[in-house]
Amino acid sequence: MRKYAVIYRSVFLENLQYTMNIALGLISYFIFIFVFINLWGYLYAEPGTRIAGYTREQMIWYVMITEMLWFGARSGAVAGQVSADIRGGNIAYLMNKPYHYTLYILARYTGEWSIRLPMYMALAVAAGIMMVGKLPGFGLPALLSSAVSILLGVTINGVFKICISLLSFWIEDANPFQWLYDKLILIVGTVFPIEIFPEAMRPFLKMTPIYTVCYGPAKLAVDFRMDQYLDILLAQFLYLAAGCGLMFFIYEKGVKKLYVNGG
Amino acid sequence: MNVIEAENLSKTFRVKQKEKGMKGSIRAVFKPKTEEIKAVNGVSFAVEEGEALAFIGPNGAGKSTTIKMLTGILYPDGGRVQVLGIDPTKKRKQLAYQIGTVFGQKEQLWTHLTPYDNFQFFGAIYDIPDRETEKRIGELTEIFELSAFLNTPVRNLSLGQRIRCEIAASLIHRPKVLFLDEPTIGLDPVVKENIRFLIRQMNREFHTTIFLTSHDIGDIEKLCRRVIIVNSGQIVLDDSMEHLKFADASLEDIIMRVYREKGKEEPAL
Amino acid sequence: MLTAVKNQLRVCLLSIKYNIMREMLNKVTFLTNICFMMLNNASFLVQWAVLFRLKEDIGGYSFREVMLLWGLSASSFGLSHILFARVFSLPELIINGKLDAWLVLPKNVLLGVMTSATRTSAIGDLLYGILVVCLTGFQIKRILLFLLFTVTGAVIITAFALLVGSLSFWFVKTEIFGNQMLNVVISFATYPDGIFKGAAKFLLYSIIPTGMMVYQPVHMITDMDLGGLLMVLGYAVLLSVIAAAVFYRGLRNYSSGNLMGARV
Repeated sequence: MRKYAVIYRSVFLENLQYTMNIALGLISYFIFIFVFINLWGYLYAEPGTRIAGYTREQMIWYVMITEMLWFGARSGAVAGQVSADIRGGNIAYLMNKPYHYTLYILARYTGEWSIRLPMYMALAVAAGIMMVGKLPGFGLPALLSSAVSILLGVTINGVFKICISLLSFWIEDANPFQWLYDKLILIVGTVFPIEIFPEAMRPFLKMTPIYTVCYGPAKLAVDFRMDQYLDILLAQFLYLAAGCGLMFFIYEKGVKKLYVNGG
Repeated sequence: MNVIEAENLSKTFRVKQKEKGMKGSIRAVFKPKTEEIKAVNGVSFAVEEGEALAFIGPNGAGKSTTIKMLTGILYPDGGRVQVLGIDPTKKRKQLAYQIGTVFGQKEQLWTHLTPYDNFQFFGAIYDIPDRETEKRIGELTEIFELSAFLNTPVRNLSLGQRIRCEIAASLIHRPKVLFLDEPTIGLDPVVKENIRFLIRQMNREFHTTIFLTSHDIGDIEKLCRRVIIVNSGQIVLDDSMEHLKFADASLEDIIMRVYREKGKEEPAL
Repeated sequence: MLTAVKNQLRVCLLSIKYNIMREMLNKVTFLTNICFMMLNNASFLVQWAVLFRLKEDIGGYSFREVMLLWGLSASSFGLSHILFARVFSLPELIINGKLDAWLVLPKNVLLGVMTSATRTSAIGDLLYGILVVCLTGFQIKRILLFLLFTVTGAVIITAFALLVGSLSFWFVKTEIFGNQMLNVVISFATYPDGIFKGAAKFLLYSIIPTGMMVYQPVHMITDMDLGGLLMVLGYAVLLSVIAAAVFYRGLRNYSSGNLMGARV
């Protein structure tokens, strides 16, 4: 474990130098928040209405949190770097190191988002309180449960993206699959909660990564319920276990293929 | 007639100083420290038509900066410059029609096109009528012996073949002055010799003025009849090759000595 | 004078042609890039289909009009990136001193730099826009107007990119800032202007070029008025002139590649 902590620390310190650049990136996020505040403001024209069971404040905070996760967990390590390592042959040097390559990437990824995400969070909280108002009913349980859920959700996201990148062992370009995953999260997962879809589609959507990666954390923050918390927590642990299993499996297969065919 | 005249030419760069560590980075955002570096500091010289001049000096001495001011790439901060009677800062385009440039490893050719298509493209850039372009391509192909690969995409050529094409392309408009910035860098001795021969031929047959910078003593000895050495932005030697050859030391020794002498007085950049 | 313009135009067109030829060297990648971008744009229809289930008009737009808005944004962005992709990476050229090659040629520097690269996926953007306008109402007048506004939109976004990119002549750090500003323009360009009020609306029709790039044109495709058209044209010309002036002023500060050498 210690070696991964060291990797994490060095990436963290390296990225600390780019705080100014990350801060400039907040402009895009702020514009997104601004657009969505206006969009939902328009859709909630009459005060007191609820859409899919959400009040206006809840809806906007929900979107702010999912977008925050989307922007904050963006990382070069899990997508571009893994593919480049595999396609470029760099993997041959990295896989003989005394650490597991996928965990090495995961440690890098964690080092990247643990600087970015807090910065986005700070902006989200500040902009939310000023432009939307405090979340009614937000207390310690909501804070703690969503914090745990965010941690798990972001990690699950990283594991899935690594799994997709590992496909580069077999295919020329894994980008189309990255793209599909990103589109699923961005278009179906961030702009509105799952409840907005017809009843018939919801069980299906609960099976997708959306439920554990963005819906879970955001839902717990805007509308905490104990039973739902346990439900989401269970789903996240299952997803994480399955995702990691899949990640190790694909990696071993890929490495074997590399040994057979050469780099 | 002087084709190049530089008088008291100067160029200063302001370089940001970065302090170490987190504190330094933060301070640099709000209060950037800058240091002025006089890349070229009062350089004056004149080059006559048909001359072949080597303009040399150690790294960071200001040769490239000078060549870039002569060709209109950089604006001088002070002094006066005229090339073919034209002020490069005021009539850059007009000057560009009459000069050629080969900048070392920087490529100006489209790598996915054949040399032939590239020459056609440069013909269009210099407003040469199609028939005339065709004629000149024929000439250049002959002089530079390009016929074997005239229709092979540039990316498939060897470095030597590519450099030959680069130089040929920069001659398509028959420039009166040819600026060469390290033209033989990275080439093997045979190709180097070949390139030097071609440049010398250009100089003799068409009376093209050659302005060359190079770290290669061979280039200088075999191509040029006059040498200017710059160091720390100033001219430290300006003499004819003939004169230098009569000195008791080899050209290489002379150059080394001049580089070092200047280095003692002022720390190199 | 006229020949000079003709020659300049010929060189620009040759450059653009060669750029595209270079991208086409790998045909599979070329076509995949184009198709994926069309699919990418189409995927956002899902988002809007869901939102329009909640309300029939959003900011005064129907689903069809939002599609048109998306289409015009895509095609303007696309055309701009097909012809002038390099403008969007101008800071990189300025900071690393890579403008030399164009400064020694007897042609317009700005046009030379602008036309020196293309982006394949942008062809997909342009095609998507044209597909959308044809699908949402196949009328010759509508399509011609759409094409006209694709051109003005491309001019506006290119000029804006040139303006923010040219800031790199003075400040090295503006590279990311410029990209963020472009993101702002694009982010707004895919949402109906009717949802914005007050200061935001004013900004969108003034210093943020989104209004003149897509909002005003989309209104005019359904409801043509001459005053609005002149405004869009005037805005495009004015912004281009300012951007070019800033670029040329900045070029005097240009310090070429050997600055790096001086740093040692």
